[in-house]
Amino acid sequence: MAYVATRGGERAIEQSQRLYRAEMGAITPERVAETRRALPYLIDRLMGEASLYDEDLAALALAQTGGELYEAVLLLRAWRTTQPRLQVADPVTQDSLLTHRRISAAFKDIPGGQILGPTLDYSHRILETAVLSGETHSPDPVTPADTPAPAQHPSVAAWQADNDLLTAPEPDRTTGNDIPDVTREPLLFPAKRAHTLQSLARAETGGVLALGYAAQRGYGQAHPTVNELRLGEAEIQVRHPRGTMFSAGRVKISTAEVVSKQGAELGLGFSATLGWNEVKVIAAATLDLNADGAEKGSPTEEEFFLYHTEGVESSGFCNHFKLPHYVTFQSSLDAMRDAKAKKAQQTRTPEPAE
Amino acid sequence: MTDPVTDHARALGILARCDAARLKAFAEPLIARLGEIQVLENRTGLVMLPMRDTAQGTHFHLGEVLMSEAHIAASGTEGFGMRRGRDLEAAMAMAVVDACLATGQATAPVRSFLDTEARHLAEADRDRLCQVEATRVNMETF
Repeated sequence: MAYVATRGGERAIEQSQRLYRAEMGAITPERVAETRRALPYLIDRLMGEASLYDEDLAALALAQTGGELYEAVLLLRAWRTTQPRLQVADPVTQDSLLTHRRISAAFKDIPGGQILGPTLDYSHRILETAVLSGETHSPDPVTPADTPAPAQHPSVAAWQADNDLLTAPEPDRTTGNDIPDVTREPLLFPAKRAHTLQSLARAETGGVLALGYAAQRGYGQAHPTVNELRLGEAEIQVRHPRGTMFSAGRVKISTAEVVSKQGAELGLGFSATLGWNEVKVIAAATLDLNADGAEKGSPTEEEFFLYHTEGVESSGFCNHFKLPHYVTFQSSLDAMRDAKAKKAQQTRTPEPAE
Repeated sequence: MTDPVTDHARALGILARCDAARLKAFAEPLIARLGEIQVLENRTGLVMLPMRDTAQGTHFHLGEVLMSEAHIAASGTEGFGMRRGRDLEAAMAMAVVDACLATGQATAPVRSFLDTEARHLAEADRDRLCQVEATRVNMETF
């Protein structure tokens, strides 16, 4: 066993961090406020992956890391551990969301209708290069309707259950701190469904997309159709010391259900996350749909996709490979040299006389 | 007759979401009416937000939300505030108004403040939902 000591490491590390931060310049309250204002969808993605909802903290993490998302998520997850848990809110239901976007690719006539909401799905992908020549690009304002959309919309799955297309799930009586929580207990397999859905909610978007896409391309058992995609705001229902339940504010959340035929009924996959990030929830719901009975080691097997889409663990493991491995690698080289030396000795040794 | 619990929930919901600057300005002069105030809690912390899965009905955690909380005792009752974000003063202002409601202090101005703020919040929701309604599509199969 051997160790390698580094000389001048403290100074070099300090200077390396300064060199990284030199490119960003000063982090000011104005920069943080502008980051929050200008990049709401990146803020949403970050809050979902950090599992911590606060736009100011997310904007600060982005500003402080120069947009290095893995570092930003790690900062937020670390900061989260310094805070006490005040309460567990009442569970949010899909049909209680203040809905901004809600579409179905499976049924055109869903109760409540289809509302595109904020989306670039149908936009021309044209870069506004005139801005680089000094012009200001101001998007055209929305022409509002005379009457508001309904704030809440019924669940498509509940409508399907009413029409015998699927079986409505039994209500879960688990609430508060009794709900399984992967931030306080280990993720074991086969995973509790609450652990699976919570892990997907905080999973890294790119990882979920890669594995969900693999399932969608045919490396899964079921081809998904989006039953319902919803972007909305959830009320945070908390308890006053005298017992009154009240809404202490709203947060943006995304939900997706994907559907495929399973025997005589429809099978559903579900996912939701903090913030508006629809690619993530569609891909995650695809993984949920395909998880049951998936082959061990396949991208749709829950142990495979839950372990490999946890962004802090996966980026940390990837990063650790660049840290000094001199002794272990030297050991590999020694083994190689030894093997070569033995082989050379064998070729030089004359064959014994017969 | 309004249900007191519903009324309390409505008041707290408005105080939790209303404009922070207006809430602080409104609460400031109410402090003197409450006499001695004991601050039991004034801190930031996290509220875990669970959701019900529509596929199998399971409750699971979406993630945590940063909140500011204030809990005070005054005039033989308590006041409580909880709002999103890192604004301890706003949470304290909410707790002061809540304590005033509980003790019957400044009831008319508090009711008036709540009604005004409720209108602002409802107008903002209506404006947004009119924009959302403009994106409604009707589909037809040929």
